[in-house]
Amino acid sequence: MAALLAAGVMSLGALSACGSSGGSDSSGSGSGDGLKVGMAYDVGGRGDQSFNDSAAAGLDKAKKDLGIETQESEAVDGEAESAREERLRTFADAGYNPVIAVGFAYSASVAKVAKEYPDIDFAIIDDEEAKGDNIANLVFAEEQGSFLVGAAAALKTKSNEVGFVGGVETPLIQKFEAGYVAGAKAVKPDITVDTTYLSQPPDFSGFGDPAKGKTAAQGMYDKGADVVYHAAGGSGGGVFEAAKSANKLAIGVDSDQYKTVDASLRSVILTSMLKNVDVAVYNYLKSASEGDIPTGVRRYDLKVGGVDYSTSGGQVDDIKSKLDDYKQQIIDGKITVPTKP
Amino acid sequence: MSAPAVARTPAPRVRRRSPYTYLAVVVGLLVAVSLLEVVTGADDLTSSGTISATLVATVPIALAALGGLWSERAGIVNIGLEGMMILGTYGAGFFGYHYGAWAGVLGAILLGMVGGLIHAVATVIFDVDHIVSGVAINIIALGATQYLASRTFVGLPGGGSTQSPTIPSLPSLTIAPVSDGLQGLEQRNVFVISEVAAVVRALTTNLSALTVIGLLLVLVTYLVLWKTTFGLRLRSCGESPVTAESLGVAVLRYKFVAVLISGAMAGLAGGFLAMVASSNYRDGQTGGRGYIGLAAMIFGNWRPGGMLAGSGLFGYTQTLGLRSGRDSVHALLLAVAVLALAVAVLQLRRRHVRAAIGFAVAGVVVGAVYFAIDEVADDFTRMTPYVITLLVLGLFSQRLRMPAADGESYRKGSAG
Repeated sequence: MAALLAAGVMSLGALSACGSSGGSDSSGSGSGDGLKVGMAYDVGGRGDQSFNDSAAAGLDKAKKDLGIETQESEAVDGEAESAREERLRTFADAGYNPVIAVGFAYSASVAKVAKEYPDIDFAIIDDEEAKGDNIANLVFAEEQGSFLVGAAAALKTKSNEVGFVGGVETPLIQKFEAGYVAGAKAVKPDITVDTTYLSQPPDFSGFGDPAKGKTAAQGMYDKGADVVYHAAGGSGGGVFEAAKSANKLAIGVDSDQYKTVDASLRSVILTSMLKNVDVAVYNYLKSASEGDIPTGVRRYDLKVGGVDYSTSGGQVDDIKSKLDDYKQQIIDGKITVPTKP
Repeated sequence: MSAPAVARTPAPRVRRRSPYTYLAVVVGLLVAVSLLEVVTGADDLTSSGTISATLVATVPIALAALGGLWSERAGIVNIGLEGMMILGTYGAGFFGYHYGAWAGVLGAILLGMVGGLIHAVATVIFDVDHIVSGVAINIIALGATQYLASRTFVGLPGGGSTQSPTIPSLPSLTIAPVSDGLQGLEQRNVFVISEVAAVVRALTTNLSALTVIGLLLVLVTYLVLWKTTFGLRLRSCGESPVTAESLGVAVLRYKFVAVLISGAMAGLAGGFLAMVASSNYRDGQTGGRGYIGLAAMIFGNWRPGGMLAGSGLFGYTQTLGLRSGRDSVHALLLAVAVLALAVAVLQLRRRHVRAAIGFAVAGVVVGAVYFAIDEVADDFTRMTPYVITLLVLGLFSQRLRMPAADGESYRKGSAG
């Protein structure tokens, strides 16, 4: 029976992978004489209230300001590597240049397809592994933004204990953890930081399982933590609920979550670590439209506004000057934030 | 499929157990865990927080397992539980948001039943292989809910293509005097007494109505399947449909109804995930719990009590891993070591020398690991539920007996 279960699960993965090739929807064209940009989203696509949406916002702004033509397509959960490659090739064959891939899931496919189309420029968000003369890696200094929210947590805690809930223990999410812990310790060297991850790769369920996020955060609040930061994508909603029922605080991630969560949960959101994918996408397209297409690693950090912390809700107003002081020190290079825990 | 091979071995006599035996088991477990807590100092093992989180983690698995139980007792293997759960999460999200909490529960059941209906039509009427149909349902359900979500949740406040808006919550029970009164007792760490206080606190603090309903359904299932004529006939369809038909049982109708109920249970499991364990539909939130439910049902030897124990074990170890996993799972290592040594002694007394040596070595190794490390790495805490389940299945699998005609195709009129 166990073997049967395994076979069932595997065939589920394989079938769903080849069964669907991802819906692609045209979103009209701009003025025509500008660039033709193809954007391949990760699972979720537009409307995910996370980094896909953020990338889309950057694209929309570029379309409006720069008069470019765009085409979009999104990935489906559990699809095969070949499906991602095919998506990129479709763009390249149709004359879209540059092609932007959203998310580290595209790493291998961008590296491969970029070699096949040396005349077309590719950009990939959140990944440094894919290297090539025609590849731009748009990455973020998540550790710097996380440092600031870690400092905010340490300034706000009354129990001298804060927590971190990661979605999946990948090097990317470990950057969030490292920055957060460093920020908290910079304010209070003796602070206790509880950390946990909801799943281990290759199990990526930790990004979409709010029940697990809630259980993990509840455990931290029960232990005495009074601020918990999540970098757990869709599981983060569970962290906010746990904060609500424990009457404690939580910190959001990627976008200003104060603005997107249910109204009843707003009061628990201390701040959010902002990762401005839209800024990166817009800047990349702006350079491209000026004929100066970027290649290689482009790091969006505090200095260029690639990451930041949010102030909606006003819960960090009283410590804003201290946070901005840390921000300046990081920008000036006086504080170097670690990227590994 | 290894199960039919198991089925051919002669069935062991099932002893009738009185309710007091179950009570004794529960008390024994409580004492054992208290002892473990004292020895290891891992004080989250029996906190009321852990116990209420365990309940929340257990119920969806148990409901999925109940779904499996209903269907397999009638002879239809249901590997589509995961898909029916996914449909349930969407049903809860859609109907719950638009029409209120209880409508969400009904919506979850209804959409789960749609999954059950597909499976019933395919397997009972058209005699499609049960596994093929189940796998197909898992795929269809995933795609269908993603499509529906992107059509119905985008643009709503807090909604998007991957999640629904927040669903209003179901009523939950908190008996403040009991809950607050026992808080002191729980924190004082009196051996066993504090643990009992923690259990009572967990049951009187924020206990969702759906948790109670879920647990009651286990009891109801037992009563219906084992204490009524309807149940006897339904089970006879899973044991020997030919005999059943020759005695005038409308086999196909019973199978059809069983699979529908199975879908309803799995749908409710999904609804529980979306409404109690969290508070919205989220793409991928079932995370394989349907398969775990299937495993829990097999673990429980296709019986409600055993299946509940399996779900509880899984829910408990998963909760420990997610809460303060590094300490709690570390403490569990000691428990596993002691258990393995105990089994070794037992095997020795039965003169199974080789097995005894095997268990003794395993016990010593696990014990050594316990003393060698202070806390368990996260990579392993997430595996705990699966490892424990495998261990227990390994120990007891020889005694499992599935319904004799489970998974076999049946045509009307086979009785001749």
